[in-house]
Amino acid sequence: MVIDCHAHLSGPKNDVTISWGVPDEKVIADSERLGIDAMCVSLLTRERPATPDGFRECNRLLAEITRRYPGRVLGYAYVNPGYQREAIDEVRRCIEEYGFIGVKLYNEYKCTDPVVWPIVEEAVALRVPILHHAGHSHYFVATQPNMSDGGELAELARRYPEATIICGHVGGGGDWEWTIKAVRPAPNVYLDTSGSVFDAGMIDMAVRILGPERLLFGCDLSYTAGVGKIRAAALDDEARRLVLGGNMQRILAMRGGATC
Amino acid sequence: MLIDTNTYLGHWAFRPLPWRDADSLLRAMDAHGIDQAFVSSASAILYRNPQAGNEELFAETRAHPDRLIPFAVINPTYADWEHDLAVCCEEFGIRGLRLYPKYHRYSLGDANGNALIEAATARGLVISVPLRVEDYRQRSWLLDIPDVTAHEVAEAARAHPKAKFLPVNGMGYLHTAFGKPGEAQGDYALEISRLTAVLQEELQKLIAAVGPDHLVFGSGMPFTVPEVPLLKLELLDLPEDAMEAIRWKNAARLIGQ
Repeated sequence: MVIDCHAHLSGPKNDVTISWGVPDEKVIADSERLGIDAMCVSLLTRERPATPDGFRECNRLLAEITRRYPGRVLGYAYVNPGYQREAIDEVRRCIEEYGFIGVKLYNEYKCTDPVVWPIVEEAVALRVPILHHAGHSHYFVATQPNMSDGGELAELARRYPEATIICGHVGGGGDWEWTIKAVRPAPNVYLDTSGSVFDAGMIDMAVRILGPERLLFGCDLSYTAGVGKIRAAALDDEARRLVLGGNMQRILAMRGGATC
Repeated sequence: MLIDTNTYLGHWAFRPLPWRDADSLLRAMDAHGIDQAFVSSASAILYRNPQAGNEELFAETRAHPDRLIPFAVINPTYADWEHDLAVCCEEFGIRGLRLYPKYHRYSLGDANGNALIEAATARGLVISVPLRVEDYRQRSWLLDIPDVTAHEVAEAARAHPKAKFLPVNGMGYLHTAFGKPGEAQGDYALEISRLTAVLQEELQKLIAAVGPDHLVFGSGMPFTVPEVPLLKLELLDLPEDAMEAIRWKNAARLIGQ
């Protein structure tokens, strides 16, 4: 079972979601062509910070897609923690009514901001993971002043050791060596391998420092980079099975009902 | 037969590269079915005097002329580069150059760039321009070097119709002269490692626009892994002669092999 832990779709033509310029049907077909059995998807608002109306519409459209592709497209509930009551209600609704498998947090707030904590507590109560956008640059990223990095995710994970946190796209978040080292001390942080960067040694270092049990295969729309870098990694059969889907299956099993 | 148009030996200051000498690069090539490689010095990108890197490169490649085809790094703002170029051609047997205009602080369109392109063209050398060395987001706090744009290389190709350009580590060619039939008059080839082969399918669109004779395989080893461009070859649905062109014939044509 190969599970892409970090995927995006656009939904039908609309004014709310980010369009990736490729129809959802083609994204799903191309991922299937590359041997991916299931994709864990979020739809993001075009305008940010996301409003409650915006993130609810993203999630509603995604619920329709998950119903069209049962077991193939799994949903993350995307919310903006700044709208705390609405975000908590939306997370619960997405997990319990839509059957989504986790929470997606983007860059509206640093993950260490207390405004995020109730969302983490809700995810813990619902026994679902949080996929968190992340990156570490040695320069200020003016377009994403509140982007979290692996060190901040590790700090959040220490505050909530019962939470399951996925650090987004090690191959799309700047200095990947920094990120691997930063998340090491937090065993409840998993590292998502996605992103367009396919540097030699990246996955091998992650395996060496974190162990294959903490890596989750992902693409984040960079499909050939996502698949190719795992093909290139020095993994034995069991480690490869874990990275490609075994670890994510274990995370999905936390909630029991959500399977692919 | 497979020719990799985008490989390196030596060191990169900001992280260890997994294959740094000829023997380890050859082992990696063997493991991936790569018969020949265009190779330049990674160290020379940051050496003040890049010729020292070219000398190190030649010391590694000289025993393997059948497999490792040396390309030299020349900085046209550095003292006596014309002599370095002559040594690289006459003693080292290089078949091309790798140019780093952003790192070496010149432009492909300024007097320094034009002089180097003209000198290289007069010697029949391929002019390979890496649009990036590493992803910009992971740059060190010591260096803030932007990518070369596809447009800059395409404009240089338009200005030098007899030059043979080989941009590598690039994308975004479709809206440049490289992606429009007849606009880039000289011979050129676009290396595929960063071109999309699914979703936006820039690779397939370029083939449709300008034919398969302007695309070449390249990996970026040892900065990047060859499995990604190899997967892109797997995804192409082309006649065998077009695949052979991309796998090796276009690269061989560029170097007159």
